[in-house]
Amino acid sequence: MKIAVCVKQVVTRDWPLRIDDAATWVQDRDASFEMNEPDAYALEEALRLKEEHGGEVVVCSAGPVRVAQVIREALARGADRGIRVESDALAAADAGMVAEALAAAVRSEGFDLVLTGLQSDDQGFAQTGVVLAELLGIPHASIIMEVQVADGSLRVKRELEGGWFQWVSMPTPALLTIQSGINQLRYATLKGIMAAKKKDVRVVNPSPDLSPHHEILDLYVPEKEKETRLIDGSPTEAANELVRLLREEARVI
Amino acid sequence: MSAAIRLATRHERDGGQPLSVAVLEKSRQAGSHALSGAVLDTSGLDELLPDWKTRGAPVETQVRHDETYYLTERLRFPIPAFLTPFNNRGAYVISLNKFVRWLSEQAESAGVDIFTGFAGTEVLYEGDRVVGVRTGDRGLDKRGERKGTFEPGVDIKARVTVFADGVRGNLTKTLISKLGLEGPAPQTYALGIKELWEVPADRVTAGTVMHTMGYPLRTEEFGGGFVYALPEGRLAVGFVVGLGYRDPLFDPHMAFQRFKQHPLVSSLLAGGEMVRYGAKALPEGGWYAMPRCQADGALIVGDAAGFLNSMRLKGIHLAMKSGIYAADAAFEAVRAGDVSAAVLSKFEKLVSAGSVRRELYPVRNVHQAFETGLFAGLAFTGLSMLTGGAVPRGRIKSGSDHERLVELRQYHSTRSVDPAEASDAVKPDRKLTFDKLTNVHYSGTRHDEDQPVHLLVQDTDVCRTTCREQYGNPCVRFCPASVYEMVDDGTETGSRLQINASNCVHCKTCDIIDPFQIIDWVPPEGGGGPEYEGM
Repeated sequence: MKIAVCVKQVVTRDWPLRIDDAATWVQDRDASFEMNEPDAYALEEALRLKEEHGGEVVVCSAGPVRVAQVIREALARGADRGIRVESDALAAADAGMVAEALAAAVRSEGFDLVLTGLQSDDQGFAQTGVVLAELLGIPHASIIMEVQVADGSLRVKRELEGGWFQWVSMPTPALLTIQSGINQLRYATLKGIMAAKKKDVRVVNPSPDLSPHHEILDLYVPEKEKETRLIDGSPTEAANELVRLLREEARVI
Repeated sequence: MSAAIRLATRHERDGGQPLSVAVLEKSRQAGSHALSGAVLDTSGLDELLPDWKTRGAPVETQVRHDETYYLTERLRFPIPAFLTPFNNRGAYVISLNKFVRWLSEQAESAGVDIFTGFAGTEVLYEGDRVVGVRTGDRGLDKRGERKGTFEPGVDIKARVTVFADGVRGNLTKTLISKLGLEGPAPQTYALGIKELWEVPADRVTAGTVMHTMGYPLRTEEFGGGFVYALPEGRLAVGFVVGLGYRDPLFDPHMAFQRFKQHPLVSSLLAGGEMVRYGAKALPEGGWYAMPRCQADGALIVGDAAGFLNSMRLKGIHLAMKSGIYAADAAFEAVRAGDVSAAVLSKFEKLVSAGSVRRELYPVRNVHQAFETGLFAGLAFTGLSMLTGGAVPRGRIKSGSDHERLVELRQYHSTRSVDPAEASDAVKPDRKLTFDKLTNVHYSGTRHDEDQPVHLLVQDTDVCRTTCREQYGNPCVRFCPASVYEMVDDGTETGSRLQINASNCVHCKTCDIIDPFQIIDWVPPEGGGGPEYEGM
């Protein structure tokens, strides 16, 4: 089974975010980057499918030169080779533009299965995978919790609302967007890191005609409307004061 | 990193059988745990990679002028340059994090294997000969049980192992004690705390370097503050405190807050924004505190060995030079087929013959002199500078930092004190001053929560009894990351020690200064720790 995994490099989750001067994106100078979390689970799922059914895992990422780092990380964990779509314009691009860039780079490969994370930790549109499937002309299923492969077709478990799940059968080739936490992520081993150095990474330049499909007009930090008040004093005094405030000011008891 | 680059360069130059060089690094990326002021004396870099400028080294901001002040609570008194040891002409203000990352790229392109996210946890011996290190197990849960992702540690064997595990390195510590490599004097340390700020770009000229003495420290405490100006309004603001302080209620993080509140500093930071935080101990003991740096199959370099000039407040170039010399000694030993301590002692010869000794020997007693107080230390430093280190001869005796902490009742004999108040003296406004937890957030520190605690405290009963009584639990104050907390447990003694291990910024202060010496810092799972991007 020939599997592509699309991974995105995002600013580290607990990075103290600041808005850039144009107020359209976060300042990523000196930011620390990592692999988008759901994508890491997609990669792990791909590696497990390969271990079970054989084949090849190809990791793809689009963005500035720095995304080479997440590709390398994926190769160290066990992906067989990489495709890197290099363009500074893709650093904070919208889902449509990224999907177009990825589609052009992977179309000729003829993958049986394309996996992406459910959504990105930064923009969170949950669209790149879906649009990519459309552009590649293959079916897709989203929010995947489990993947079973038998006789060239797929059975996948989707997460619905309110604790409900759904099993779907679908043919290959197909694209799945993977939910976080569906498996346990492996560590890169010393051997894996050594081997990653020798693995092939194809660098692709995206078409110069790519253009954004949307524009971020304004990015802002929500204004704090809530007020937190700390009540001093001994536990008894504080409790009395709390009761008084709840009764007299908040009027909830 | 310097040793690895040098080994690769030597191999390329001298040829011979293939040489395999690997660097183990506990942080997630090279340089993530590297923290310094930092002003770089480029002499080490010139020696390692003479063409560093064309290689695009992130070494761009030349020092334009030095300012040194003696501070009182409100005032500042400039100290003329000729009276200070900080002549930084020709040096550069850098981000050590970026610099180390760049070095790692140079090393990789020279064929060195760099394994990030792997902590060395054990030294491997055959008899007394060092044959490599073992990396830590990964995928253990809180109780030390294997998780589904368990990945056992790996034994990495090498003909020569160069220990560059930094200040109070966990491997070097065991190596020194097993093989009896201690130097003539115990190592003494300081704790450096730093924030990176962004202020309006026109406020301070890039390349301005300020050092301060005095306030908020009392004359019995050794240390001072610094402000280094980087381009685009970025300021590295930090404070260094000798860990040989006596007052058990002293809190280095609090001293740093007070330093920022001084008009000299607060006027620079007003309206700016703190963007990063970090803390790290530094070895200040100097020449006599350095261990013997060679053993059969092993060399110790950098901060791990104490290659730092505490008078000039510089160690990066010395660490780099020690790496270069270690590489030269190791390379020749490997080629000669004899990696015994006798052959590796070429390292010591290279250190003694060259600029490293020329720089460190004359200032060998400076830190020790400050143990008797600021003015004695200053007088001594002056004398030492005037005479080029000839007076006094030999070495001044000194003790370990952890022995210097005085008991509460003895130190604060005249008044009764509440330890809780001491760490509460400055109310953080979260603009200029911050509490430790907020600061830790800005250090980018992250550990997998479900793993064994990496701060081994032999006997936590001591905390609730003897230590509380005698020192008022100084761990809650000396730790700059709120790792240690005494929490009410409802018993008669009232509190027990809680270790918030995932806050740890790997500064090693606790391992150094704990008066009972029952805290052992061991590496957490590889990849955990701070993320000093841009610091």
